[in-house]
Amino acid sequence: MARRQARGRALQGLDTTDFGRFRTYAYGDARPEVPVASVTVPDGPPGDAAKGRALFVSRARGPCTGCHLVPGADVWPAGNVGPDLSTVGDRGLTDGYLYQLVFDPRPIFPKTVMPPWGATGVLTPGEVRDVVAYLQTLKGPRPAETDPERDPATRRRPVGFGDNLDATNNPGVLLADQAEAEWSTKGPADRACADCHVGPPELAMKGVAARYPRHVASQGRVMSVEDWLTVHGPETTGAAYLAESEANLRMTVLIKMASNGLPVAIDTTSPEGRAALARGRASFERRVGQRNHACADCHTPDGGANHFLGGRMLADVREGLTRHFPTWRTSQSELWDLRKRFQWCMTPLGANMLAADAVEYAELELYLTSFDVGKPMSVPGIRH
Amino acid sequence: MADDVGRIRIRVPSSIKAGDVVRVRALVIHPMERIERDAQGKIVQKAYRYINQVTVTYLGRTILTLDTTQSVSENPSFTFAFRATDPGPLTITFLDTTGGKYAGLADIKLA
Amino acid sequence: MTDGITRRMVLRGAGAAGVVGALATRAPTSAWAQAGAQAPALGGQESVQSALKRLFGARPLKDGAGVIKLEAPPIAENGALVQVSVEAASPMTAANHVKTIYLVADKNRIPVVTRATLTPEMGQAFVGETIRLGETTDVRAIVEQSDGTLLQVRREVKVTVGGCGG
Repeated sequence: MARRQARGRALQGLDTTDFGRFRTYAYGDARPEVPVASVTVPDGPPGDAAKGRALFVSRARGPCTGCHLVPGADVWPAGNVGPDLSTVGDRGLTDGYLYQLVFDPRPIFPKTVMPPWGATGVLTPGEVRDVVAYLQTLKGPRPAETDPERDPATRRRPVGFGDNLDATNNPGVLLADQAEAEWSTKGPADRACADCHVGPPELAMKGVAARYPRHVASQGRVMSVEDWLTVHGPETTGAAYLAESEANLRMTVLIKMASNGLPVAIDTTSPEGRAALARGRASFERRVGQRNHACADCHTPDGGANHFLGGRMLADVREGLTRHFPTWRTSQSELWDLRKRFQWCMTPLGANMLAADAVEYAELELYLTSFDVGKPMSVPGIRH
Repeated sequence: MADDVGRIRIRVPSSIKAGDVVRVRALVIHPMERIERDAQGKIVQKAYRYINQVTVTYLGRTILTLDTTQSVSENPSFTFAFRATDPGPLTITFLDTTGGKYAGLADIKLA
Repeated sequence: MTDGITRRMVLRGAGAAGVVGALATRAPTSAWAQAGAQAPALGGQESVQSALKRLFGARPLKDGAGVIKLEAPPIAENGALVQVSVEAASPMTAANHVKTIYLVADKNRIPVVTRATLTPEMGQAFVGETIRLGETTDVRAIVEQSDGTLLQVRREVKVTVGGCGG
C-alpha cells in the first residue's frame, strides 16, 4: 500500500530547487503574490483521464491527494484539508468550472487555501485538462471502504512519540545534556558561561528562555535564544555558536530546559514588541512561494488545522507551536530549532529559504510564540 | 553526532522493593546504519555498522540477550522487565558490527 | 503530555522514575570483533517465508492470542521509529518460562528484527524496542516456550509516508 521509504541520512527530502521567481518571507521582497488568472478551457484534444489520475496522485507534482480523497487502494495516505472528491463527477460541474478551479481557484473562492496549480506553472494547461477529465470520471455510487484508515475522515489520529522529557525516549534530551559540561568550560576568551551566570544552568538560566524571542535593544532587533547566542558567545566566552551549529543548538536546548514547566512569558506589549508582533503576523498571513501558501492556510482553524495533510495532522496555531522547540525530529534523527523547521517548511511552499538568523524568522517566531504565552515550556520536544 | 555514538541512558523506577518485577528502559545513541543503494538501485557492499547484540546482566548474571538486525531503529531504545531480588549492578552492553562495545550501568537500590 | 515535568525532575530522579546516566566504554575488544565477524547473522535480506523456515523449520506456529500481547501503533507516523512491545503470559519459573521472543516485520527487507533470549530471572516475559518498518506490514511476535512450543500473534502496522515534505 505505502511506498517504500527512500530516506537516507538527514535532510533527505529537502528541496534544492531554486524558487527565486516566487515571493519569499524577506521583508525587502516587495513582489505581489502570484497574480490571479481567470481562464477558459483552451482549444485542443480532450483531456486524458488516466494521465489526470497519475498527476492527481503524483507525489512530485502535488500531490492532490495530500488534501483530497479519491477512490483507489493506492491512495495512501490521503488528506482532508479539501473536500472528498470521490464522487465529484456526479455534481454536474462543467469542465470550464473545474478547469478554472484547478488552474486557479481564487476567482471562484477568494479565500481558498488551494494553490493555483496552473497560474504558478506547476501544471500545464494540458495537464489541468487531464486532471479535469479524471475528476469527471469520479461517479457514484461510492465504492465501499474496505479500510477505514484510507479515509482521513475515519482514520485514527497519530499517537505521537511518547514522553519528550524522558532521556530514554527522546535522544534530544540525552544529547543536550552534553552541553552541560560546556557551561563551566572556558572559551577562547578564557571565560566560561558560569563565570557570569553563577550556578548550574538549570538555576542560572531559570526562566530566561521563557522571555524569548524578545527585542534586544543593543542589536535593535528581535532575537531568539539561538540568535542571541551568536552575538553573546563571541562577546563573552569567545565561543562562536554559529546559527544552526550543533554547539548553538545544544546550548539553546540546555538554556531552554532551564525554563521547562514555566509559562512562556514573551513581551507583546512594549512598542517594539507590538510592532514586531504585527510584522510577524503579517508574515504568518503572507502568501509566498510557488504554492502561494500562507502559514495560516495550514495552521489556522479556518484553513487546514486539525485536518490531515497526507498522513500528518496539521497543527493549530492556537495551541502554541513553539514551546517544544528545539525538538527531536524522529524522521531526521536530529534536534531541530524552529528556524530549521521554518526553512524546511519552504519546500512544500515552493519558496527559497532565508538565513537561519533572519529577523523575518525571529519575528514570525515571536508571533507564533504569542499563542504559547502562559503555557509551560517543554524542551526538547519529540515529533515526526 | 559522531562523538555521541555509544552514549547511553538507563531508566529504572526510583523506588524498588525486594522481589518487585520492574521495567527498565535504555536508549543508546547509535546510527544503526541501514542498507544503502547506489543510483542504479544496487546494494552498496560495505561493512554496515549496527548493533547486533544487547546483553543485560544483573548481579553478574546474564538475564537477557537480544540479537538485533538493521531492522531496529536508529538510536534504539529497549525495554525489559527483571525481578529485583538484591541491590547491585544492572549492566546493559551494546555490541556493534564494527567492534564497538558500549556499556551502561544502573545501580539497583532496594527500598 | 509531560508539560508539567521539569528537566530536574527527570534528570535527578525526583519524579516517578529515576534515570541513571552511563558513560560508554568505547574500547573495541578484538575478541568480539573476531567473534562478531564470524557470528551467524540473525537475519539478512530474505523473504519472511524463508526467514521463518530457516528459524523454525517445519515446527508449527500455534495461535498465541490470549498468551501474547503485542503492542504496536495501528498507524506509524514514521516508519523509521516504531515503538513495539511483546508481553507473554508466563510464570517464568525454571520449569516453565518463555525462552525466546522473535520480532518479525514481514515486509521489511530484513524481516527478522530481534531475537530476545530470556531467563526466569526476568520475572516477566516482556521486551519492548524501537524498530524500523519500510512500509505498511504485518508485525509478528513469535514466542518459544521452555517446552518448545511456538506461539505467534501478528498485527498490521500502517506506515505513513510524507505528506508534502513536512
